[in-house]
Amino acid sequence: MDSISSDAARDGSICDEAIVLSVTSALAKDALSYFQSGKFHECIDILIQLNHKKRNDPKVLHNIAIAEYFKNACSNSKKLLEDLNTVKKQSEEFAKEPLEAVNPGSNVSVSKHQFDSTITTLNIAVTWFHLHQYAKCLSILDPLFLNIEPLDETIALQICFLMLDSALACHDAVKFLEVFGHLDKSFGVGFGTHEEIGSTMQLSSNQVSKTSSLLSSSAASDALKSDLAAAESGLCEEGLEYDNVLAEIEAEKRMKPVGHIPANNLLKTIGERSILTVDVKLELQLYKVRFLLLTRNVKLAKREVKHAMNIAQKRDSSMALLLKSQLEYAHGNHRKAIKLLLVSGIQKELRTSGIFNNNLGCIYYQLGKYQAASVLFSKALRNCSSLRKDNPVKLFSLSQDKSLLITYNCGVLYLACGKPLLAAQCFQKASLVFCRQPLLWLRIAECCILALQKGLLEEGNTSSDRSEIRVHVIGKGKWRQLMMEENGFVELGGSAQWPKLSLPLARVCLSNSMYLLNVSLMNDYSKSDLESPLSVMINETKEASWSDHGDADTNSELKEAKGGMNQDIIQNSLSAYKDIRRRENHLLKQALLANMAYVELELENPIKALSAANSLLQLPDCSKIYVFLGHIYAAEALCLLNRPGEAGAHLSAYLLGQEDFKLPFAQEDFDPWRMNMSSDCEETSDCSTGNARDSLKPEEARGALFANLAALFATQGHYDQARPFIQHALALLPSNVQATITAVYIDLMVGRSQDAVARLKQCTRVSFVPGRLEVRAS
Amino acid sequence: MNMNMEETATVWSLLKSDLRPIEDVVAEFNSKFPRDRRFTACNSLSLLLQARALASLLPLNFLPLLGPDLMLLRSTDRIIAFAIMYQCYPSEKPSVNPFVSDMMNAACNEQVEKHERAFILHLLQWNSYNKSKEILKLSAVDYIKSFDPSTHDFPELGELQREYGDKAGSGPSSHIAADYAVKKLLHDPDVPRGCDPNSPEFDVQPGGNPKIGCGDRDEAVTGILGSLTTGGLAPRWIRPCPPRYPVHQSELLWIDPDNKHELIWDDKMCADTSRGATVRDLLVKGLKVTLSPSEQEDITTALANDAKLVYHCGITPRKLPQLVEHNPQIAVEILTKLINSPEIVDYFTALVSMDMSLHSMEVVNRLTTAVELPKEFIRMYITNCISSCENAKQDKYMQNRLVRLVCVFLQSLIRNNIIDVKDLFIEVQAFCIDFSRIREAAGLFRLLKTLE
Repeated sequence: MDSISSDAARDGSICDEAIVLSVTSALAKDALSYFQSGKFHECIDILIQLNHKKRNDPKVLHNIAIAEYFKNACSNSKKLLEDLNTVKKQSEEFAKEPLEAVNPGSNVSVSKHQFDSTITTLNIAVTWFHLHQYAKCLSILDPLFLNIEPLDETIALQICFLMLDSALACHDAVKFLEVFGHLDKSFGVGFGTHEEIGSTMQLSSNQVSKTSSLLSSSAASDALKSDLAAAESGLCEEGLEYDNVLAEIEAEKRMKPVGHIPANNLLKTIGERSILTVDVKLELQLYKVRFLLLTRNVKLAKREVKHAMNIAQKRDSSMALLLKSQLEYAHGNHRKAIKLLLVSGIQKELRTSGIFNNNLGCIYYQLGKYQAASVLFSKALRNCSSLRKDNPVKLFSLSQDKSLLITYNCGVLYLACGKPLLAAQCFQKASLVFCRQPLLWLRIAECCILALQKGLLEEGNTSSDRSEIRVHVIGKGKWRQLMMEENGFVELGGSAQWPKLSLPLARVCLSNSMYLLNVSLMNDYSKSDLESPLSVMINETKEASWSDHGDADTNSELKEAKGGMNQDIIQNSLSAYKDIRRRENHLLKQALLANMAYVELELENPIKALSAANSLLQLPDCSKIYVFLGHIYAAEALCLLNRPGEAGAHLSAYLLGQEDFKLPFAQEDFDPWRMNMSSDCEETSDCSTGNARDSLKPEEARGALFANLAALFATQGHYDQARPFIQHALALLPSNVQATITAVYIDLMVGRSQDAVARLKQCTRVSFVPGRLEVRAS
Repeated sequence: MNMNMEETATVWSLLKSDLRPIEDVVAEFNSKFPRDRRFTACNSLSLLLQARALASLLPLNFLPLLGPDLMLLRSTDRIIAFAIMYQCYPSEKPSVNPFVSDMMNAACNEQVEKHERAFILHLLQWNSYNKSKEILKLSAVDYIKSFDPSTHDFPELGELQREYGDKAGSGPSSHIAADYAVKKLLHDPDVPRGCDPNSPEFDVQPGGNPKIGCGDRDEAVTGILGSLTTGGLAPRWIRPCPPRYPVHQSELLWIDPDNKHELIWDDKMCADTSRGATVRDLLVKGLKVTLSPSEQEDITTALANDAKLVYHCGITPRKLPQLVEHNPQIAVEILTKLINSPEIVDYFTALVSMDMSLHSMEVVNRLTTAVELPKEFIRMYITNCISSCENAKQDKYMQNRLVRLVCVFLQSLIRNNIIDVKDLFIEVQAFCIDFSRIREAAGLFRLLKTLE
């Protein structure tokens, strides 16, 4: 009896279910079509109906969240994230239950399917990506990637591309390769599935570097050639000022875009675009070039970008051209970069005109044309903001919003132009994206120091700012504990107001930067243990490529010539890149310690200054410039700490004989700065002057050694020893204030006040100020 | 840190109050200057007072520059100044007073007027100098008038330092440079040397026309008072600013329009969940009975049409042995398609650990030709086979059958170069010798020998 009734009940429920299913799937179809046509209100109405029918179906809730987000013009990403996370949690809980409860049977996999949270997870990652949180995006996608085989191909591709873009944004070459390797396996576009093309390309690439002619080597069509020729003729060879750029753009507009298909993969709107319609092969080839650009393997990138041009020839070549332009930019061939940027045609699209202006601005910065670069960056920012206004529903307005990146570029530019306050504002805005990058914090600290030099700091550092140790009292009574505050990462920015520029802020920024640098170094070490196959290969190739990236290139070419081990090329690229990163981090560490010592001296804290200077001097393979700064800061700090003997030892390291100093470093020592500019870079001089323009000259450094040793002798009362040194110092630095004061001091102490006053009168930087008080009759 | 105009004027007027009792003057100072400003004021006074004291203290002669009689402050001013400096810190012991060393220096300086030295000693209450209370009731002028220079003897500096100096530092200094700082006040050497500033010749005459070179002592004193700061002139260090960290071209962000990563609509919502339902049902059946050829073909085509269906067909590692037993071909089909799955190891493990049978061996054998199997898996499987043979002792017939199967299987693996004999040589050889009575084992042994 029981069994019969339960059977009947089951039949009934199955029947009901079938009806419900057909109704709901019809509704679901309607909802989708409304969604695709952008009618989000109607779409949500239907979804709410669905939600009534199917209580708490995570997929319905998920789609409601998505539709709501679009309805509100993509404005509330925070709410979207909250909603999606709730849905995800819910479906994960549902997914657990039936697995445990239901006996092995067909419906297990059904329910699994129903509560699969892959799409929700992907959408969470997409949202973080557009909020520029690339590392977070990667960590969310990682579990999906580990189990990517069972996923539908479209979804899998979407996950992989998102991961590739995020890895690029994070400069995470290892992760990039991991994902790329998978795609390579699944879609068979590997590094070097085109041996023949590769080898012919290599030939022509040699020609290029010799003749430095773009046209002869270009694999593009005739139409493209004519474009290029026109662009070239429109380019004024001498002055590359902004007006010229405008003229070029105008000229370029007048040209008919023959044979040039507009950037249609940039134009697709939502729904239209199925990822399979995008040419996966071309995309992968482009990603390959991006990887090589990231690892700064310019030579190989050159070859691969040509292959990309070949693939793109009959289709859309704008992206390939843009990458080519980036390649020339990275190579230091700025004129070629400009031409290619123009030919890529991205300035014609409203969506990409901001990107065009930004990239052109980068080129002009490298050329040292700061004025033009500044105009271009502001134009790019305007493009972005107009995009935000015009296009509320044109979906991911967020995604096209590169304004924070452009703002960072502005910061770099303003700092180079000597405008610390503006630069700091830019960096602080950009910190939303870059707050985990040590370099950002160093830049803000540099803004503070520049502002100090320019007298723009408001003196008002309260004593609480200067106190360095904080002890937190936790608990009460016998449980009371004291906790020393750790010197960790200080959260600045975000929603909170940024403090004004000051030396204590510089100190905080430097310590943040150091903290982040150490964290990233530690991650690198621990990672290299885990990535078993990669690390083995890297270790093998490390020695080969230790000396120079150029060597690595030739290495890889040799190997390829021998037998085409393409994986080796990639690994060489990767290990060479790791080398570059290591050197950059090393340089960054030196810069941080030098800045720390300087800031601590300015804050009258010789103990900390000394410890920073000592750490700097203990670093192996330190740049000569930083060694010099380390010595000079340490000496001053030691003098302030009543340890003149040790201070003298630091300075006399540079003594030549009894009374002369050698140059502590040479102008060439600024060169390691530009470590991987290749030899055939055309416009190197421009970029080097840009960097070294306002830095310390070797002769000035020598003068500082004389002056400081004189000051040290004077404080010890050895005026006779001090006198010759201060004379030398003043000969080298005639109008230096500090040296003049030391000289006056010595004169006074030996009783030559006549000389002292004469010296004051000679010095161009002394002003005699009339007394400020009136006599008052008493 | 220096005094403002108003404060300077106040100090100046106090110094000029030489007719009022010194006590009153000091009291007025204390009332007009809040505690935190007193140090600044006293420091200025101290520097003014030292204009001469400094000259005599310096090892090298500073004196001719200032002139022996050039004291900026008059005697009465100096008395009042010392009183103020001392009384600023009344409640504390003299050794705590930051200016006590200045006072001691003055008290022991032969060139300082005797009445002034005696006054300081009274303030410090040195031995018999204990009349400070009475003296402070006098005005400065009266004190100097009533002073009798004959009755005093003055201590050595050392004696005073022993008494007060232990704890008295050398004034307000924070580091070595400040210790050696020279006071910043500098007489303009353009003023002729022989000029006697005390003579009325160059003083400004009220109502008269100012002469060239005339100056007003009051103006100088107030000017100095107003612009003196604590701390002296010290040698200065050149502190080069660290160079800006170079901008690498990759620091400027070159922007590449990324793939448009968009939010995705979940089109599985309320979708037909029957995807692969028939296959699933068939497979459930296939766990128990052998499927008919047409049923098998249905499964094969369905799996071929939908590459991802295999992940949703409901065959878990746990169920795999049942499927292998009843439908080995289907199992091979599914395992081949799952070869890229992250869970494939679990499936292999299930296959290895199931009881050895003709079917499982068939599945493994066919897999070896279809896909590349991990070496450890094959080794483990062979080891497992061999031990199964050895364990089947009770049933001789069964054992013989198993051994023959294993031998054929191994020969096939070796001929197809699936395994490297060296890896398993000893193990397999022992197996062959154990079962040498069976013809296939002997054959396998011969094969091994030829490969050796």
